[in-house]
Amino acid sequence: MNILFVMERRVNAGSIQALANYMRVSKEFGYAIALYGPPDPRFREIECSIDAAAFDYVIFIFESKLNWPSGLQLAHLLTTVPRSRRVILDADGMFNPIVSLDGYDRNHASEGDRQHWLAAYAALADRVVQPSLWPCDPRVQPLLFYGYDPAACTRQANGKRVDIMHVAHNWWRWRDVSERLLPAMERVRGDLGKISFVGLWWDRPPAWAADIGQQEAFCVDPGRFRDLQIEVRPAVPYREVIATMSTARVNIMTQRPLFRRLGLVTSKYFELFAADTIPLVLLEPAHAELIYGPAGREVALSDDIGGKLIDALEHPKKYRDVVHAIRQHLTAHHSYKRRLQELIVTLDHVDGQAASAK
Amino acid sequence: MKLLFVSKLTRSARAISTIAQYSRAAREMGHEVAIFGEKQLDFPELEFSLKVGGFDVAVFVVYMPSDFPDLPYLARLLDGMPKGRRVIIDCTGRYNETIRVEHDFNHLEKMDGHQGWEWIEAFQSVADRILQPTLAPRRDDVQSFLFHGYDPSGVARGDVSAAQAARRWSDTRRYGAAYVGHNWQRWTQMRRFLEAIAPMRERLGMTTLVGWDWKRRPDWAVELGIKGADVDPELLERFGVETRDPIPFSEVRSFLGAARFSPIFQRPLFNELGLASNRIFETFLADTVPLVMVPDALATAICGPAVRPLVCGTDIAQRLEEVLRNPEPYWDAVVRVREHLATHHSYRQRLTELVALLER
Repeated sequence: MNILFVMERRVNAGSIQALANYMRVSKEFGYAIALYGPPDPRFREIECSIDAAAFDYVIFIFESKLNWPSGLQLAHLLTTVPRSRRVILDADGMFNPIVSLDGYDRNHASEGDRQHWLAAYAALADRVVQPSLWPCDPRVQPLLFYGYDPAACTRQANGKRVDIMHVAHNWWRWRDVSERLLPAMERVRGDLGKISFVGLWWDRPPAWAADIGQQEAFCVDPGRFRDLQIEVRPAVPYREVIATMSTARVNIMTQRPLFRRLGLVTSKYFELFAADTIPLVLLEPAHAELIYGPAGREVALSDDIGGKLIDALEHPKKYRDVVHAIRQHLTAHHSYKRRLQELIVTLDHVDGQAASAK
Repeated sequence: MKLLFVSKLTRSARAISTIAQYSRAAREMGHEVAIFGEKQLDFPELEFSLKVGGFDVAVFVVYMPSDFPDLPYLARLLDGMPKGRRVIIDCTGRYNETIRVEHDFNHLEKMDGHQGWEWIEAFQSVADRILQPTLAPRRDDVQSFLFHGYDPSGVARGDVSAAQAARRWSDTRRYGAAYVGHNWQRWTQMRRFLEAIAPMRERLGMTTLVGWDWKRRPDWAVELGIKGADVDPELLERFGVETRDPIPFSEVRSFLGAARFSPIFQRPLFNELGLASNRIFETFLADTVPLVMVPDALATAICGPAVRPLVCGTDIAQRLEEVLRNPEPYWDAVVRVREHLATHHSYRQRLTELVALLER
């Protein structure tokens, strides 16, 4: 089977890391997977193709921006690829009722906005898949999509230069960071070494935040970081994420509240466990167990976050065993090989459904 | 015929003036013109529609990638209108091999991220017929269709003889020269023009430039290393040139009428490909003396031989001196060109050509 992905090309965000993994494992199965468009020096290992007609399926990956595809590209794709061979991956849960959490994070600003998204999806394809642990809309097909690459696990020979690291962009994360993480860190700051936040917009919101009406999404107070002597570092390209995480003893994963509510999985869920670090995830234990297996509860940050950070730093052996168990679980249940097979089954299944319907 | 135009509209750029004229001419001639999309309150003179099935043809008017609608509209449009009933009017020569003239290109990859092949593939995917507003398309699969046209009923104070017009023109005007158009690939020509008229600017009166990015080179052009929006603010200040923000298309004619002269510049790419823009036709509607700065062959082919006295070569200042000294022959040329444009390039005629072409 040949699959062409159409997505916004971002070197330090989105689904590019997953795509690189799908390409890697697809070769073992004799499938062809490519990214639509001309080759791009920023994505050396990514196969690119402009021959949309040569693929069995075209999967459009939508995140939080609807109109990233250029009209030129869309015009070509829509006229070259029949609707029955187009599929949407709804990575950010836009294909849902409005979910607004405490008036803070949300998938849509208004019902009109939501209807516009739904109309766009309906115009583009019949099928929507979501990387959700618990899809809310019965029309959605669940497909976790993102996965784990056991071969990517690294051992960092050199000593760690950072105690606590957080690799992610400041996109709807400030509330969790400012209300849960930073106060916990403050309580135990004297027992922690260097803390690093790596990613975009931790130093200041982007200039265009107001233009898109989403100032809250980028809210940040650099003074809080200064007070706690937390360093802020720029985002790293997708292929350096695991190596960067591996420079820290402990890595914390936070997720925007909307994603937690919708059970959406991202690349970060799995990259974290490929790094040579102790991962701690800001999820409820039950949520962590659902994806990481029973040992996942041990890495969940819910109560006493400060105590957990100290415990991880002081008892690395205990956590190494937990990480080992989780890696085994991820290899068994969430490897990219498995994910590719699920993807193929999903595509075949929907094709079969369409044939039956006819 | 029911024509559904597809284009991104703005009141001060691209094809808005032309599309508004098609809408007017269609009403007069029993055709129907609407713009594809939701109703836009900024354009009360235009009809909008999303009912693709109610139209005979979709006419894509393309300058830039965003002239193709966003989702969901593009998908609905392509689903609802068969390819054989879609046509593209390629206003800037995108549907060609990549062409560079000075620092002007037909494929602006640095700006929009699209290489030449993408334009070719997209156009071929969308429509069976591609039209270009040039008399001499370079590709065999492109048809010539000038698209832009002339509205004889829109001539400002056109009911007078050349002698009367010349007398009236000699009265005081607010501006010596006015150019309405954006600073996009025009600075080389504009600079030459301003330097040429600088010695006579006291007598001529103030020059004004109206449009985007005349005040300074925009940041995006600096960041992307694009020279197409170059400008020299010091030179403008030294020559006392006024710069103003863009004005709506409906105000262009009257604004130009406040100036003695109005130069007609086109992008180097347009001159190379023989592409006509709306400005060639529109300037002849205004109560001003057009200074035609496009190549003589293109000017003559569109405006007729009477345009020659108005075509400026390298002797810009000398030509202006002559016009100021003895305006009547030049106004005679203006009147004759207007007659030629009314006969050969009216919007009624253009719409008739388009309908005939689409019925073929």
